[in-house]
Amino acid sequence: MKLKLTVFFIILSAINFNIQGQQTVTFGLGNVKNVTVSSSSNSTDGTKTLLSSGYLPNYNSASRFLSHATLGAKMTDIQSVATLGKEQWIDNQLNLSNSFSTETYLKSLHQIMVDSMLRDNPAGGYTLDNTGVQNWHFDASWFQGSMTAPDVLRWRVALALSEIFVISRISGLDGQPYALANYYDVLLNNAFGNYRTILDKITYHPAMGSYLTFLNNHATNTTKQIYPDENYAREIMQLFSIGLYKLNLDGTEIKDANNKSIPTYTNTDIAALAKVFTGLGWGDRPYLGHYQKDKWSYTKRMKFFPLDSLEYYQGWWQPKIYNGHEPGSKTFLGSTIPNRPVVQGEQDIQDALNIIFNHPNVGPFIARRLIQRLVASNPSPAYIQRVATVFNDNGSGVRGDLKAVVRAILLDQEACDCNPDNNNNYAGMLREPFVRYMNLMRGLKLTTQSGVYRNVMYTLYNRIEQIPLYSPTVFNFFQPDYSPDGELKTAKKFAPEFQLLNSQTLTAYVNALNSWLVNDDPVEFWGLFNNETYKPDQDAKFDLLADSTLAINAKIPQLLDKYNLILAHGAVTKENIEIIRKAIVSMPYTYDYYGRPYSEDVYRRIRMAILLIMVSPDYLINR
Amino acid sequence: MNRRDFIKQTSCAAMGTTTLLSTLANLTSLNGALGSDLVKSSPPSDYKAIVCILLSGGLDSYNMLVPTGTTSGGDNGYNEYKAVRTDLALPNVGSAGGLLSLNNPQCSSFRGISCSYGSFGVHPTMTGARTLFNSGKLAFMGNIGTLVEPIANYTQYQSGLKKLPVGLYSHSDQSMQWQTSVPQTRDALGFGGRLADLLNAANAHQEVSMNISLAGKNIFQRGQGISEYAIRNDVNASNVGFESVPTWWGNSGLLTQTRNNTIDSLVSKTYSNLLQKTYSTTTKNSMASFGVFKDALQKVPTLTTTFANNQLSNDLAAITKIMSVRNFLGAKRQIFFIDFGGWDMHSDLIAGLNSRLSIVSQALKSFYDATVELGISDKVTTFTISDFARTITSNGGGADHAWGGNTMVMGGAVNGGKIYGTYPKMDVLSASNQQNVSFRGNFIPSISTDEFYAELALWYGISPYDLCYVLPNLGNFYSYSANNYPVGFMNFNGTSISTENLPQDCLTY
Repeated sequence: MKLKLTVFFIILSAINFNIQGQQTVTFGLGNVKNVTVSSSSNSTDGTKTLLSSGYLPNYNSASRFLSHATLGAKMTDIQSVATLGKEQWIDNQLNLSNSFSTETYLKSLHQIMVDSMLRDNPAGGYTLDNTGVQNWHFDASWFQGSMTAPDVLRWRVALALSEIFVISRISGLDGQPYALANYYDVLLNNAFGNYRTILDKITYHPAMGSYLTFLNNHATNTTKQIYPDENYAREIMQLFSIGLYKLNLDGTEIKDANNKSIPTYTNTDIAALAKVFTGLGWGDRPYLGHYQKDKWSYTKRMKFFPLDSLEYYQGWWQPKIYNGHEPGSKTFLGSTIPNRPVVQGEQDIQDALNIIFNHPNVGPFIARRLIQRLVASNPSPAYIQRVATVFNDNGSGVRGDLKAVVRAILLDQEACDCNPDNNNNYAGMLREPFVRYMNLMRGLKLTTQSGVYRNVMYTLYNRIEQIPLYSPTVFNFFQPDYSPDGELKTAKKFAPEFQLLNSQTLTAYVNALNSWLVNDDPVEFWGLFNNETYKPDQDAKFDLLADSTLAINAKIPQLLDKYNLILAHGAVTKENIEIIRKAIVSMPYTYDYYGRPYSEDVYRRIRMAILLIMVSPDYLINR
Repeated sequence: MNRRDFIKQTSCAAMGTTTLLSTLANLTSLNGALGSDLVKSSPPSDYKAIVCILLSGGLDSYNMLVPTGTTSGGDNGYNEYKAVRTDLALPNVGSAGGLLSLNNPQCSSFRGISCSYGSFGVHPTMTGARTLFNSGKLAFMGNIGTLVEPIANYTQYQSGLKKLPVGLYSHSDQSMQWQTSVPQTRDALGFGGRLADLLNAANAHQEVSMNISLAGKNIFQRGQGISEYAIRNDVNASNVGFESVPTWWGNSGLLTQTRNNTIDSLVSKTYSNLLQKTYSTTTKNSMASFGVFKDALQKVPTLTTTFANNQLSNDLAAITKIMSVRNFLGAKRQIFFIDFGGWDMHSDLIAGLNSRLSIVSQALKSFYDATVELGISDKVTTFTISDFARTITSNGGGADHAWGGNTMVMGGAVNGGKIYGTYPKMDVLSASNQQNVSFRGNFIPSISTDEFYAELALWYGISPYDLCYVLPNLGNFYSYSANNYPVGFMNFNGTSISTENLPQDCLTY
């Protein structure tokens, strides 16, 4: 029932309020506790009318929101959301422009290498062009940005996009950090832009062209019996836009008269679309099929070559000029791109991207994927539909506006409600291994004196098998429809991140926590060049000083509450907190001659407490 | 209640696997060749293992096994191959860097379709595989692939009357279907998992899974009641389980125990949220297996067989280690799974195959030698699978996704030195080629994964009675009768399969 209700929310009151029916209610969506309500209504049913907007969240609710919207949040971030409200916080974030370029930072690291080599050997002639640079220079750049950029929502969304529009260094991109960085910057720059722009940018990106092998793809040559490469044509449809089956707006599959799903495309569509993606070569090379490239080639938009003049340039006897771009009309997804002169072939590409962009599947397809990356593995059809509707029209007639989509995902009632009635038993998601790591790095006080967080994340990848742009295949680290054995599978529910969970990886995670926390080794500092002196002011460590008074038995509950809030938005249950508390108070806490607690004992208790919160199923399943 | 429902219900309830087995044994449902042994827990003389190597990405297997005939008007396979593969064609036997010829490969016919050629060679880098083939330890499956039911030719394929695998040409689907052998659905369990459902109870230590993965979670090893135990290929006694807290913490042992007990308490609680429950169960099961696994790995002997240093070789070396301590693990049946990827060669195919097929060939040879050294070469059967083959025609340096392809099966119990299934005719640009379904050159498989797996399952000790639990579509391909083996590539040592326990519960169309 709808009714008018004037509500005032004041944070930090500790008791639940008695509404006029004199029953005690826990108020607010998400069963947020500790909210005081004053109501002018005489309704007994006020709770039902509250939307998940227009009120200030308490700390747990703010922390939970940040667990969706960031890679990890500190107490100050939680306080900020609690003060501003989710809407204001998100609008502030959406209006921040991209503050960090991984490519620029990578280049600065690269320049430091060159400068130092020149210092040692002034006659060496070292330049950026002739000095090698490695994958881990990208990883270090990524980490620096993730720890320092104020536009934290953008960083969260960009990581999600990197797991949808997948490229990976497990490919010909290995050893090409500029390719990785430039591509990642596209995702950062366009995280709040339009989906159609991303389609264009990745289609023309040499990293994607190289990864999905359509760079230097040419027209059908019947003499040589060579046909356009079908790789990108397939994956752009299967993985980046529409998927395998026709979808309703709510993401469920449309069924035919025999209750069968309806494929979106056939192999014939693939072959036709493959003809569209022909004629794109390196942006800084003179002709199609030119195989030489350097690190900068990976940073330049691919160039369209209507003709394939490879033989001519390579000095063949009686060289032939072939079509670079496929001539003729191309029909796919029920639309036909008209027959044009090959010199106008780029219009074919734009037409094709428009056909894909306007396919009705895109809204629900992208909505579900983004929700799964940010909020929950099993969004209800209604949730998907609400987000897909915003994708289709942001309210101003614009399709594909990711700013509106991200806002809709994070502020949806289903995202804000930690206890949705309809799917409590499969609510939430397993936190991605890499996100757990970032939760820890960003949630605790990780400090360096210089503000530089040098971290090559090399051992990290070996331990948890996930860091950005390191997916085993274009299918990402895990797939949207993965369902682990047991009751989830029986219930036909999904849990993509469980694809990475097995006896080996869960062991590796506990051991990694041991290393990050217990061994106090949160990041991996490598020298940038031979004989670089160790720079302790760039080697980040946790600063747990503020917690040092919380290690005594009587204060352990306070310590646990603090990290339960920061890392798990208070989701670790009382019973589990008690299990952890018992373990921590059983650890030594001894005093020196002057009656001061030994600092080793203090910090060991704190570190073990955080570790145990992070292995608790209440933390690991973010719900 | 029919048998499949029975298995479902017993494994959904919290009934131990041992109970399930003894119940099944009482129902005389495991009366196959090894049935009576299965309830015994001790003698390891009866050990058998299956090793599945997924070459993920889609191996261009028409450049792994290639026709070499050049007789105009006769077996002209090489010239037909060369004419369509253009820039992807390998040089023939005898040329520099050419194919390696196979001794009398005896490719004849299968299910009414005859083999197109008589002489064959393998990829120039595959010396180890050729040696194994010529010594009868390795066989090829020709044009094998995912099928729901037999499709004889292009006309049938086009008719709309035959059930096709879902998501043909898609990596995720085809790779999955090779692992499930149930290509009409995305919900099926894996072949290895269903084998383990039936046989896992034979192993003494139930806390260590019979299915051991070098590739983490996978579909192949997924059963109703069985999950994989995942290891890394650098596995050894010191890196199994949770690390200790550092010794410089003084009371390291006690603190480690406190931590582990706390983790155990946290995952032992009942969670109503299924994601939390699944996480907890996985953790608990893994923790339970650490002890046995660690103890066993301390007994690994030193072997003289050496392996190269690459992922596949390291994976196979790790499997060798585990098989060497099978008695300490109490394992009479094991299934191993490896994923050696990098085969999606849309470009740079020639160079890519040169580097990767050489690794495969060499690793298989080392692994076979290691099983000889362990004295179990006829107890271990190893085979390769891949998403699909690649288009016969080129995209200029590479090839795209196709369907039926060629695989290898290796072991002392394999009737090696032959090509089973059939090898299709290479003239894919000719309208008369009835095995081809695309202008790019994509073949309808002439032998199904079901037929291949059925033979393996019988060798592995599955009763004919249970075949259709393991392979629900099998009835579409294989009509059971005594001594009529599904394909014939395994050596059953002259023993006949039971005539009493006929397959039950096959799906029929």
